Amino acid sequence: MLEKLTNWSRKRSPWVFHINASSCNGCDIEIVASLMPRYDIERFGVVLVPSPKHADVLLVTGVVNAQTVDRLRRVYEQMPEPKHVIAIGACATSGGVFKGCYNAGQGVQDVVPVDMYIPGCPPRPEAIMYGVMKLLGEVK
Amino acid sequence: MSAQPEKPPRREESAGLMEYSTESLVPFGPIHPALKEPEYFKLVLEGERIVEVIPRVGYVHRGLEKASESRPWIQNMYMFERTCGICSFVHSVCYAQAVEGLTMFQVPARARFLRTIILEMERIHSHLLWVGLMGHWAGFDTLFMWVWNDREVVLDLVEAISGNRVHKSMNTLCGVRKDMPENMEDRIIERMKYLTDRARYYRDVIDTEETMLARTEDIGRVTADTAEKLCAVGPMARYVGMRRDVRLNDPYAAYDEVPFDIVTRNEGDVHALLRLRLDELVVSANIVSYAVKHLPDGPIRIKIPPTIPAGEHSSHCEAPRGEIFYFAKSAGGRTPERVKSRQPTLANIPTALEMLKGQTLADVPIVLTAIDPCFGCMDRMSFFDIDSNKKWTWSGEQLRQYGINKYFPERAKRQLHGQKFSSAGLGFKEKF
Amino acid sequence: MSELFPQQVGRYAEQAGSKLTTTHKNENVIEVTQEKLKEFLGHLVNDLSTRHLMTITGLDLGQNIQIIYNFSHERDTVHVKTNVPKTKPVALSIIDIVPGAILYEMEVHDMLGVYFTGNPWMDRKLLLPDEWPSDLPAPLLKTSRADEIRKRLDLGVAKQ
Repeated sequence: MLEKLTNWSRKRSPWVFHINASSCNGCDIEIVASLMPRYDIERFGVVLVPSPKHADVLLVTGVVNAQTVDRLRRVYEQMPEPKHVIAIGACATSGGVFKGCYNAGQGVQDVVPVDMYIPGCPPRPEAIMYGVMKLLGEVK
Repeated sequence: MSAQPEKPPRREESAGLMEYSTESLVPFGPIHPALKEPEYFKLVLEGERIVEVIPRVGYVHRGLEKASESRPWIQNMYMFERTCGICSFVHSVCYAQAVEGLTMFQVPARARFLRTIILEMERIHSHLLWVGLMGHWAGFDTLFMWVWNDREVVLDLVEAISGNRVHKSMNTLCGVRKDMPENMEDRIIERMKYLTDRARYYRDVIDTEETMLARTEDIGRVTADTAEKLCAVGPMARYVGMRRDVRLNDPYAAYDEVPFDIVTRNEGDVHALLRLRLDELVVSANIVSYAVKHLPDGPIRIKIPPTIPAGEHSSHCEAPRGEIFYFAKSAGGRTPERVKSRQPTLANIPTALEMLKGQTLADVPIVLTAIDPCFGCMDRMSFFDIDSNKKWTWSGEQLRQYGINKYFPERAKRQLHGQKFSSAGLGFKEKF
Repeated sequence: MSELFPQQVGRYAEQAGSKLTTTHKNENVIEVTQEKLKEFLGHLVNDLSTRHLMTITGLDLGQNIQIIYNFSHERDTVHVKTNVPKTKPVALSIIDIVPGAILYEMEVHDMLGVYFTGNPWMDRKLLLPDEWPSDLPAPLLKTSRADEIRKRLDLGVAKQ
């Protein structure tokens, strides 16, 4: 019974932590734009939290370079179960335009398990909202 | 490698970057052997005051310059565009200019004007973004929300012209790829007027609103001499009175055909930076309106062969954050021999370190945001207090909360952890 | 003041034993040896007020590594080139003339392995990750290959 209640509240009001893993900031500003009055993801109950220890969902942007791999893993480990990861942007999905660069990863799935990919360079705020909502629809 | 020179003993008071020009070199060694994590800024404190700052950049180092040597000239443009999402167009213009200088071709006049229009719109969006962020870090989230809502106005225009909000990809070598759509002139001029009015309103807000004044006046001072010696660029040079702006000093694109004047301020604190960027926004809006009215006819691009003649050329442009520099060397082939790009934030870091010295911990986020760095810089900072021998790490958000609680203790009691003001109930209406 | 800027630069270039080439796009290029470098830069910064150093560019020329100091002066740019041999990549730091050069020298040190004598931050990395193996050569050398670096840094092989 309690589990049903917490699941319901997680679906209705997911707490989200955003991490920039070597991103050009294009996806990051579209994430912040989705919190702004024009697109307003907050009406779905999404709240940006300052620490991964309070988060349900992790938003990752950027091609993960050698310096951020460790940091990303540590942030993922600090999140309490159950947790979900959304990889936002072409760089987080597969390395994007930086494929082959000597200090660029091949996508976030090499570092942490990913539940949802939102492609785009950068994806529009509407696409980000759609992706987050779709993920929550999967949460049982 | 030759033997490393002996290091002179370390001084306890703020040993600045400026000390070298006369007598001895004063090195900044690692402060404490335990600080090994790759943090972005390591701040050494004495009680509340910052004594030393150790920068660590490289979190976004992906190896673009090496990769550019194995990609065709035109592909590199779209890769270098993604160096930064906020000033992506100016990177592609600067790269294009560095490469076009190696060829004999001239960019057509219409393309130069179109480049100028998009460049200035990008400056407007970047400055609005920054003003909003300053509001957020100062604890004034309403300003953040309102400014970013106005930012959508200019992003709509950019999207109407180029098809994308962030990475416009509108440039090509020797021209632009998309032309101005029909009947856009009136819409652009009307929206530029709207943005000018809003910029003037925000200027009033930052001049009178207690929150902003308390947090930005008299913070982050640097002398003009220091800024010049440390090669500061962009608003960091202009807020201490230097008339340093590439658009004026060495015009490119259509800047020598559009009348405008740059903005400088003499106060030298973060509040001056706020005023400077908002005034620059008004100047940019005027440039766009003028350029749109005087857009020359003609082709928007010239097709050039995929091999670029051998030679070396460099180009510099004024991004919203400062001067961008590109150097291109060709060996006559389809791929470059060497491309070098220098972002403005790197040029401003030495000045930022000087700005931080002597500030209190609560002012750190404001000062660091004032130089207009990339977001990632603010994500994680580590601290070491000499007095209490304590070492700790905070995320940017935690530091922001600390600053707000320090300045506005009554609000600290009311606020839950990290939740922003909800935009519900403020009643925004879509104007356009 | 009657002399044009390129002519003034040319005069100091001759004193340093080299010639000035000016391209049609206001670029003034001078090549000097390491011994004459600081004297020439001293004249450029102090006598000609060319204080703004845009950046320091490093290039791999095969036998040598070329270091270019890119200065800007109103509508002109001045590019001062100097070479160091790859067998002994040690150069002189110019931070006593231009303190703002400190981070640019760190960048050339990271990317091409040139050691700048007199720069106090040569023991630190500016751009390369901390996990960079010490036996791996500098990335921008023509002999370094991106896929080898990726393997050493454990970043996965690029799927073609």
